[in-house]
Amino acid sequence: MYGLLWDAIVNLVQLKYLLPLVIGTAAGVVGGALPGVTITMTIILVLPFTFGLDPLQGLATMTGVYVGGCAGGLVTACLIGIPGTPSAIATTFDGFPMARNGQPGRALWLGTWASCIGGLLGAIFLIGATVPLARFALEFGPWEFFALFVFALSMVAGLVESSLAKGLLSGALGLIVTVLGNDPVMGHTRLTLGIPMLEGGIDFLPVLIGVFAFAQIMTDVERMGGAARFGDAVDRSLSLAVSHVRVIWEILSRPFLLLWSSLVGVVIGVLPAIGGSAANMLAYDQAKKFSRHPERFGKGTPEGIIASESSNNANVGGSLVTIMAFGIPGDAVTAVMLGALTIHGIQSGPLFISQNTTLAYGMFAAYLLAHPIMVAIMWVGSRWMLRVTTVPKAVLFPVVLVLCVVGAYALNNTMSNVYVLLSFGVLGYAMVKFGFPLAPFILGVILGDQIEINLVRAIMTDANPWLFLTRPISGVLIAASVASVVFALWQHRRHQKRLAQSADGDADF
Amino acid sequence: MIGREGVTGLFACAASLVLFWLTLGLEKNPLVPIGPGFYPRLVLGATAVLGFALFVADLLRQRARPRAGSAAPAERLNYLLVALTFAVFGIYVLLLPLLGYRVATFLFVLCCCFLLEPPRGVALWLRGPVLAAATTLATYFTFEDYLAVLLPRGSWTGF
Repeated sequence: MYGLLWDAIVNLVQLKYLLPLVIGTAAGVVGGALPGVTITMTIILVLPFTFGLDPLQGLATMTGVYVGGCAGGLVTACLIGIPGTPSAIATTFDGFPMARNGQPGRALWLGTWASCIGGLLGAIFLIGATVPLARFALEFGPWEFFALFVFALSMVAGLVESSLAKGLLSGALGLIVTVLGNDPVMGHTRLTLGIPMLEGGIDFLPVLIGVFAFAQIMTDVERMGGAARFGDAVDRSLSLAVSHVRVIWEILSRPFLLLWSSLVGVVIGVLPAIGGSAANMLAYDQAKKFSRHPERFGKGTPEGIIASESSNNANVGGSLVTIMAFGIPGDAVTAVMLGALTIHGIQSGPLFISQNTTLAYGMFAAYLLAHPIMVAIMWVGSRWMLRVTTVPKAVLFPVVLVLCVVGAYALNNTMSNVYVLLSFGVLGYAMVKFGFPLAPFILGVILGDQIEINLVRAIMTDANPWLFLTRPISGVLIAASVASVVFALWQHRRHQKRLAQSADGDADF
Repeated sequence: MIGREGVTGLFACAASLVLFWLTLGLEKNPLVPIGPGFYPRLVLGATAVLGFALFVADLLRQRARPRAGSAAPAERLNYLLVALTFAVFGIYVLLLPLLGYRVATFLFVLCCCFLLEPPRGVALWLRGPVLAAATTLATYFTFEDYLAVLLPRGSWTGF
């Protein structure tokens, strides 16, 4: 395994792979630093540029975007108090106070080095766990895959705190998208609603681009006109000079915090569609609970920055494990990567590593190398990036929308994908406004075909439906699906009860 | 009184039932005995139940909820701007095959830029056309020449 990894690293340092990785990482750092542009949106924008590249070049670019984006969010979080991405929210809590206390360089570099070290810890997990997990997944039959995909969907839907019904309905709507057009087993045309464009089914990438890009852009457009620009808050006289040795020592002298936060990040990454936004908040919360000085949190303590940043970059490693071992995207970013693999005719899942060894180890190498590259980019460009955040949204959004159109169109050079993009853009915005979570919907769209294929295969192999429950792995996964829904229901009721109690308490005053 | 969630639930339930009804007309395939309608029926049935559950939950919540007193003033959101942005984007998508990528994209970026920040002063008036031209040319040459993506030509313009 280590021989293959070394070969992959040697292969990746060739200019033809290194350049896309550096460009991707730089794009990720800039996209992550721009408030209002998430990592998902950055990777969506980069996607069309990867179509002409070979698969490893494309995946190296995307891996770079992912790693860079996770770190980029901390620039604005620390220096102007606005998280560039949701995965840097918790970094703001201590990064910005530290910068205001006259230590902007320390805040920025604590975050950067914690991201790098946390990411490398995530890489150890990624490299160590993917192969055994993929081997384990090779034991799966259609019953187990069906149960696994249902479990992933039920878990994501169940994580919605506001309403379990909305989470489940959102996932079901995603599944409906996959039943329109054609049957993935026999290619039989069905439910086209008289629309010829639906006859071939709906590609999931235009759906994903439309839903995420419009949900993000339009919710920002709603607020345009009133709010001050980010640039107004930028102090260009900030000094970011710092002793890197001291900063690295400051991180390494807290090994338990670093390891625990990275572990939280990895575990959250493995769970489907939760993502870095939950990882950094959870790690921050854990760090505060374990700290001997919890009162220092929120006032510029290094622990807060280290916890948040190490967890969100370790999260990337966890997310990549699920896509490489099971073919289940860990979050929206890996969903786009899954789409990119499909475009190149590569099937992710348990056979991915054995059938595409060079590509799989190339991804490991890209993930490892992206971290030092990210640090170098931050070193060269952090001050410059601060100026990039002053780009007005009236300039940014039209360009982003054009790239979304080109991305959708370039998938197979037809306008039908652009119409899908527009339709699902409207739907995505409507879902956000009606409080429907997007993650279960997207997971439904991605997994729908696989759920159907495995269900039909299982029934065609043996019509006995009890096999879904009596086969051990499948049974455990189905039980876990039911348990996750029951747990979510219980959690929701408890949450509602607490809200009612606090409302009563308020009324007494 | 039904709330917004209730209406959404009812709509999802009704739409699923209509689609469910459509699956009943699907022909069975001798190679796949359960037929192409089996899985869609499962999904659509579950969606209908969930939609109805959302409607019922909303109905119960509306009954239980006391009449709201003086709520905090909500943030004023610019929905008109959202609607106009969607409209401009929709027109762009419709015009793409008619005017071609270069003309339609130039017009879209120009209109969208002016719409999102109405120009006041010479700099902002200049910014729109410069941004539109730069975006159009940069994306056109990158995708056509470097990435071999044949962007749409206009049936009206031939360009």
